[in-house]
Amino acid sequence: MSSSKPLPNSSSATILPPANKAFVPRDYSHGTELRFSTELPAKLQGRIPEEVFTAVIGNINQLLIAAETGSASVYLESCFACLTGYLAYICMETQYEKPIPVNSTTKCLRSVSRLVEEYNRTVFGPRNLSMIDPSERGLRVIEIVLLRP
Amino acid sequence: MPKRWEVYPGKSQVLCSGRCISAKNLSVFYLTLALIVISSCLFLAFDCRLLAVTLSPSVPVLAAVQFIFVLCCLLRTTFSDPGIIPRGTPDEAAWIESQLEGPQVDRDGNYRPPVRLKDVQINGRVFKLKYCFTCKLWRPPRSSHCSTCDNCVDRFDHHCPWVGNCVGRRNYRYFYLFLISLSVYCLYVMVFGIVNLVLLIMIFSLTLAPPTLTVLTILVAFFSIWSVVGLGGFHTMLICRETSTNEDIKGSFNQRRHPDLINPFDQGNGLANCCFVLFGPVTPSLLNFREDEIGLGSSISLVTNNGRNGASAAAASTAVTATPAVRYSNLTRNNNDAASNSVGHVNNSVQVISESLPAQLPGDGNDVIVKNGNGAPADGVISGGTDAVGVTSVADCIV
Repeated sequence: MSSSKPLPNSSSATILPPANKAFVPRDYSHGTELRFSTELPAKLQGRIPEEVFTAVIGNINQLLIAAETGSASVYLESCFACLTGYLAYICMETQYEKPIPVNSTTKCLRSVSRLVEEYNRTVFGPRNLSMIDPSERGLRVIEIVLLRP
Repeated sequence: MPKRWEVYPGKSQVLCSGRCISAKNLSVFYLTLALIVISSCLFLAFDCRLLAVTLSPSVPVLAAVQFIFVLCCLLRTTFSDPGIIPRGTPDEAAWIESQLEGPQVDRDGNYRPPVRLKDVQINGRVFKLKYCFTCKLWRPPRSSHCSTCDNCVDRFDHHCPWVGNCVGRRNYRYFYLFLISLSVYCLYVMVFGIVNLVLLIMIFSLTLAPPTLTVLTILVAFFSIWSVVGLGGFHTMLICRETSTNEDIKGSFNQRRHPDLINPFDQGNGLANCCFVLFGPVTPSLLNFREDEIGLGSSISLVTNNGRNGASAAAASTAVTATPAVRYSNLTRNNNDAASNSVGHVNNSVQVISESLPAQLPGDGNDVIVKNGNGAPADGVISGGTDAVGVTSVADCIV
């Protein structure tokens, strides 16, 4: 399978985007909230129905947006932590060796990881695709690998 | 297997094996720390002796509490991730840059540099997103690239040498509380230093040695107040308007210059903005420094590594099955020249590997035996899906 054509007017260092990967960029039309574009990338046309793809990304977006929505408990937790000089964060739940404030945002990102894993098993896997957890990509893109051409 | 902090490409300083991050040059931060600690020690050791006896023992106690609070806020600001956006992978960079218009020469023979802006509408206002060539990513709105630390930082406020770090989305509240608490503390120290001086004069009528240290503490507090209170007031105003220093300097939401400009991030009233900025949810650090680097050229023994970390089997399986394709692409890169970013070769290798994998899983199909690079079963047996077919199931276990 050939890689995509080089750009016109480009120099000798040709930029070849990976032919077996499709990228879903961030959607900033609603501001800085965590949201990915629901538009089906060109490389996935014919590999996955558009409605399915839109639904999958929509569900991930819902979880991510919930991560950054301030609920009363989040505000109270922050207030309490502030009053203790943020020393309360040291006492909170630890993950592996590092103590991190495990507030709702971290838990939401973990549930996104579990959801991506689930989708890989049920939706993408049977279509020879694999979705990479956006946390692995710094929430910049959702990378979808085409396992078979 | 290197950890992510070991391969971090920016100019920030990573400390405590990936638990802390700060600017490389901390000399001004040490000055700040020294001023605060030394003044506090002098105040507590000398001034509070008389004040505790004549006024109340709560004077030194309150001073100590404030001192600890100020230190906590300062250390949190200095050593926490300000909201650094991890750099894009080479594949992402190739994808984005292939979509940008290349450098062109127009009809008049003028050179036009590559276009790296794109417009996006946010709540009725057009924003220009910039592509950062250093970090290989489209900069989210409100983020900016810090040249001192060589990172893109989300909701970049400014790089503060006094604090020794960038101030961004994740540590802005600590920075602001540091300013406010330090303002209050400076006032407290100055006021009670003056009270102590007055008491000394009244009780001992200057028969003792001149209280130089007390005067020194008062002077330090007095001169600090001007800058700290001023900066605190400025940031209070910024928070109420939901603007960052960077945006204020650039005049992004300056209504006088552009009357039709609105701040789409403004929540409506100052109090709501304050609550959101200071007590709202915090994105966890996207750097994930303590995890293994599974990028280019990394080995494929990740499962055994996670298994030994003491995490539960469920967590280990989550870690493995969550990103099967990443391991897949690592496999191809290891088979090719890992040093080169020749993405053109990747697809052929993926095809070769996927065709050579057995269609059926070993065992009864319910449990997936994870193999490490030598082909021997690795620690732990991970339960995989039974309904996945062919390559997928094997992709779940291929490490």
